[in-house]
Amino acid sequence: MSESAETANQVDAKGIVVGLVGIYIAGISGIPYLAFLAGIGAIFATKMGADAVRRVCSYGIGTGVPSIGMLALGMGIISAMFGLALGKMYNVVFIGPIIGLVLALVIGFVVGSLANKIIKLNIPVMERCLTEIAGAGVLVLTGLSVMIAGSMDFVVISEKVITTGYIAPVFILGALGILHPFNASLGPDETQDRTLVHSLSCGAIAMVIGGVCSIAVIDPIAGIITIVIGLAIWYVTFTGFVKLVKRDAGAGYVGTGLLPPGAM
Amino acid sequence: MTDITIIGMLMEHWISIIGIIIGGICIAVGVHFVPVGGAPAAMAQATGIGTGTVQLAAGSGLTGLLAAGYMYMTLSAAGTPGISEIILICATGAVGAMIMISVTMLVGNWVYIYGVGVPPASAKKDYDPITGDPQAPYVAAGTVGQGMPTVCFVSGAIGGLLGGLGGSLVYCMLMWVNGDAAISSIFAIGVFLVNAVLPSYNIQGTIEGFHDPKFKRVPKAMLACFIASLLCGIIAVMIPGMSAFGGA
Repeated sequence: MSESAETANQVDAKGIVVGLVGIYIAGISGIPYLAFLAGIGAIFATKMGADAVRRVCSYGIGTGVPSIGMLALGMGIISAMFGLALGKMYNVVFIGPIIGLVLALVIGFVVGSLANKIIKLNIPVMERCLTEIAGAGVLVLTGLSVMIAGSMDFVVISEKVITTGYIAPVFILGALGILHPFNASLGPDETQDRTLVHSLSCGAIAMVIGGVCSIAVIDPIAGIITIVIGLAIWYVTFTGFVKLVKRDAGAGYVGTGLLPPGAM
Repeated sequence: MTDITIIGMLMEHWISIIGIIIGGICIAVGVHFVPVGGAPAAMAQATGIGTGTVQLAAGSGLTGLLAAGYMYMTLSAAGTPGISEIILICATGAVGAMIMISVTMLVGNWVYIYGVGVPPASAKKDYDPITGDPQAPYVAAGTVGQGMPTVCFVSGAIGGLLGGLGGSLVYCMLMWVNGDAAISSIFAIGVFLVNAVLPSYNIQGTIEGFHDPKFKRVPKAMLACFIASLLCGIIAVMIPGMSAFGGA
């Protein structure tokens, strides 16, 4: 693992601030065409989760990288929905995402401590990283749900995202964006910028699929705006990722096209 | 709308929290029974199913949840399910998860035996604790066993039973609280994943079954999952269903 260009605090700050701002603009404005902003928030939150996964998994957790992403989303979905439901219960819808985030940070810290103190994994960054991953999980889930539903109201989200079953792709794609980048890039030559660019492109794919879901749910034009912006982000980040892969390829590389000539 | 409060929900649904904790502990113990081989098993160099705990737990848990959800739908046609109905629902979920994990192990064994060409054997025991068959002569040199010998198969089926039972119990408890199948099932998956990943850290990714020395670590996972399920349970029972808000 090489030295980091961006420190953990910078990645976390960007993830939480951009994530929350995106969710709030999309959720409070009530304008469906701004729903894509929640998706952009979710992309930054994905990056925050991926960076935490990168730091904790470089210790070798023994169970494969995917487990920690699923753990994050498992904790995240309960906290995210609790936050939204609490906002609805007390008629202050806008506190929902923050309550969900704070709760996830607490659960993440407790589960991290359980893993270190009771199960004795003895990974020094476990508490901090699980806290961040759980927080990222909440922001990704809330962001994508708000983007699909175009609202922060718990009833609207349950009707349009959970009951329709769109929560399943949101759940899995959100988890993939957090766990996949490091799982794909790990190794002695892993570099932070390559892993994080990869996480942005995974987040963009989640945003595109979320946009497809929201066509049927809120407004076709809002859905198409989300898809187009998601595709643009995906294209930029994915070409950036390919560039970094070429930069990091120690022994050089040979372009073979889709299939080498002999295989046709 | 203001008559739903957090404290009220907690007071009303404390029994569901206990159910979620019991379910979580069942899942945690179930994970220890499933022969998880991880990447080495995928290369036929270790005993067990060649994938990680989370994939197996999610697979069997979701199958169990589908079975339990169908049974819940059928039984709840006659009114809110009581204790005897919940026992039936949990049994259905357990059988669903057992079928999934058994089919995975059976087909996995076909692949190991006829595809890779290795006899199922465990390096952790000299003799299979169930059949008494010698294991050591069949373990390929340089590996720690391969495939699923009888003891692993039986252990895996028990793991599926406990996992399915726990998952369905969590689902039933959440249905009592919010009455919304979609919310309950996605939360049940959340609780399931938390309680499947923590034990998988406890076994450090691989275990062969109840005959494995790592199985002695079960109490630590039970304690960790007790605390984690308590937290998840307290939060999950405070989320009312849509009907409480006058939604559809």
